[in-house]
Amino acid sequence: MTNLTENVNSPADISCAAVKLRQAVLDAETSPNDIMTVFDSWAKRLDAGELDDMPGIVFLRMWLRRGTLEPIIARELGANGLHGGWTAYGRAQCKAFPVGVVGHWPAGNVEIQPILSMTCALLGGNAVLVRIPSGLVDLTQCLMEKLVQSDPGELLTRRIFMAAFEHGRQDLHAAIAQAVDGAMIWGGEEAVSQIRALPFPHWARVAVFGPRISAAAMDAGAWGNPDEQESWCRRIARDVWQFDQQACSSPQVLFLEKGNGQSTAQFLLLLRRAFETENQAHPRRTIPAALTSAICQARASWLLKETGHQAVFPKAPDWTLLLGSGSDLPQPIHGKTLTVLEVDNLLDPVSKFDGNVQTLGLGIADPEKERKLALLAGKRGVDRIVKLGRMHVFVPPWDGVDLIRPMVRMVRHVCLTD
Amino acid sequence: MRQLDDKIDRVLSMPPYCQPPEEKRADLVEILKEELEYECQRHAGYKNYVQHWPVDYRSAGQIADLPFLPVGILKANPPLSFVGPDEIKRTLTSSATTSQVPSRVVLDLPTTRRMTKGTAIILRDFIGPARRPYLVVDAPGLMGNGNALGARGAAIQGLQPFANETTYCLGLDDRGDLTLDRDRLREFAKDRQDTESLVYGFTFILWNHLVKPLMAEGICLNLPKARILHSGGWKRLRDQAVEKTLFNQQSARVFGCSPDHIVDFYGMVESVGVIYPDCPEGNKHAPGFGDVIVRNPLTLEPVAAGENGIVQVCSVLPTSFPGNLLLTEDVAKVIAYDGCPCGRRGISFRFAGRIPKAELRGCGNLQINRSLVN
Repeated sequence: MTNLTENVNSPADISCAAVKLRQAVLDAETSPNDIMTVFDSWAKRLDAGELDDMPGIVFLRMWLRRGTLEPIIARELGANGLHGGWTAYGRAQCKAFPVGVVGHWPAGNVEIQPILSMTCALLGGNAVLVRIPSGLVDLTQCLMEKLVQSDPGELLTRRIFMAAFEHGRQDLHAAIAQAVDGAMIWGGEEAVSQIRALPFPHWARVAVFGPRISAAAMDAGAWGNPDEQESWCRRIARDVWQFDQQACSSPQVLFLEKGNGQSTAQFLLLLRRAFETENQAHPRRTIPAALTSAICQARASWLLKETGHQAVFPKAPDWTLLLGSGSDLPQPIHGKTLTVLEVDNLLDPVSKFDGNVQTLGLGIADPEKERKLALLAGKRGVDRIVKLGRMHVFVPPWDGVDLIRPMVRMVRHVCLTD
Repeated sequence: MRQLDDKIDRVLSMPPYCQPPEEKRADLVEILKEELEYECQRHAGYKNYVQHWPVDYRSAGQIADLPFLPVGILKANPPLSFVGPDEIKRTLTSSATTSQVPSRVVLDLPTTRRMTKGTAIILRDFIGPARRPYLVVDAPGLMGNGNALGARGAAIQGLQPFANETTYCLGLDDRGDLTLDRDRLREFAKDRQDTESLVYGFTFILWNHLVKPLMAEGICLNLPKARILHSGGWKRLRDQAVEKTLFNQQSARVFGCSPDHIVDFYGMVESVGVIYPDCPEGNKHAPGFGDVIVRNPLTLEPVAAGENGIVQVCSVLPTSFPGNLLLTEDVAKVIAYDGCPCGRRGISFRFAGRIPKAELRGCGNLQINRSLVN
């Protein structure tokens, strides 16, 4: 078995790897088109039955396909970006060049994130130095083995170094930071703050994704429509279930706009059933005891706080619906704990968003309302406004930032000889 | 309430570790259900919680099905109470070593009485009923101001029924730090080699302020008949790489007694009146007026013997605050559901530490509002 995730022990291991990576970038220019050919083949190999249970694998296969990536590259790098060519701008022409070696610090809660993050930088022609979170080493190794099989000419694999080490090894984090020209950082508040404080070179481009939380909102025309209620509930459950509700794009709260005295009881009953069904289809296999404890605490706090509060939950910590009213964004609990709050007007909670909300998942029947919500959400710091059920779909811009362009240099050539 | 009092008193009057487990649980579940009924009448929020529990407690056949509260709920301020302010005799606060926010529990007269009785019944089973000289490895003055009492004070006070004289061997220096009063200690140990005595201290205080310094000086107190009880958890000692075996050996050497005279007991302010001393086999047991359920974090169902899980403590003693069914933040291993060689019936278990702090690893881990930062 090719061991692509290296157990790194000293800063020297990292600086040595970075020298080789930088040389690989200088040795050969690769176009996004060449890279997509390898990705396409990789996507096919990931279609192996043994990987079917891996969280996010379906999405990863789709992401790696040419059909997904081509429009993204065209939008971010220009019409000729696909073939690594120059794009004319009046008397000048522009072309994307890699920044060099890009360091990646993926979050530990999204299984495929080391790969996703890495692919963004590779598409820009960069080499990558990826710190693999301890819990994702085996899984990432499985995915990388498929890349090795898809890349016999080592077009990409010689541009990749994956470092596995304990989270607390500050010296190794610092060594990565010192060795890179760009960084893509994903994760929680503590992790992001620590990594941002590392000694990056002054020229390094740093793109930070997260920490954020997400919210969902529905108007009465959507949640009150008997023909669509079940479908909406399924979509919400799906968004909650993925990544155990720990991703930045996971909804932590669902705001339901009241409508003409219509009761939400039937909708909430269907939502409960959707959660039960999703839980049967995708039960947890493990849970940290601290999360169980937090879920029990959330259930109890919610119900003890106000007698008007309601909740629905099974005996196990599998999922929880906390029901009430109010337009304040609740503190996230995670672990499939969704707070459902009735509001008079969806504009009320959105007007209280403070920049921490990344995605607003919508179920809206009234187009005018949707336009107003999107505008207000954008003003209040929301970066993605999508339909419920598609909250995790990884399409740039993400967190308001492109995924490939931040790690390329757009070189402008004013032609003298034409 | 009178009838409920009588039922609690009845289980308190029985030998604490003799009842067959099935019989004990059947008795307890009925009392706990009555307590839930009573407590729901006294607190609307608690009633709301109990009503939303997935199993109707009135039809529950086993303690494990009854609505438990996570212990963190008792950090509420003002504390959750089932009695009026005029009925509160004492407020206990926990040591808050982990979260820095202490739990607060309010005690009325009946709960205080049962708490004192419960602790005494358990200790009598482990150290015998005699009163004896009592050495407190702490500073005097922990009994609190007015009605407030901390965890250390509560533990010290819980052992008073076994004391015929009490000596505190620590004092406070000018900076308010604990310091060993060697004269008092010497005085206490003098001519006591043939006398039974009782020593109590919080685990890390006993170690840091008595055992460690005397050990370094090679001093032995020559108290072969002393029983040394300690509680409060191992977190701070684990930070110094001190494990139970080393602790027992070195403490025994300093006191000049056998290591099996060193008894670690687990107790928590939130479950007053029930403590869990180590039996000679090194296991802990639940008394007749309480129980322990070790729950699988994934399912919250009780684990099988040999497995680890989150500890839930159950006690019929409190009626002034919601301390009957508490999911703790501790992890334990169930040794057996009955048949400990020490002869005590029912569950035997061993603590395996605190629930590990959740790793903040997700891109959705965000706990504060930006407006609060600015």
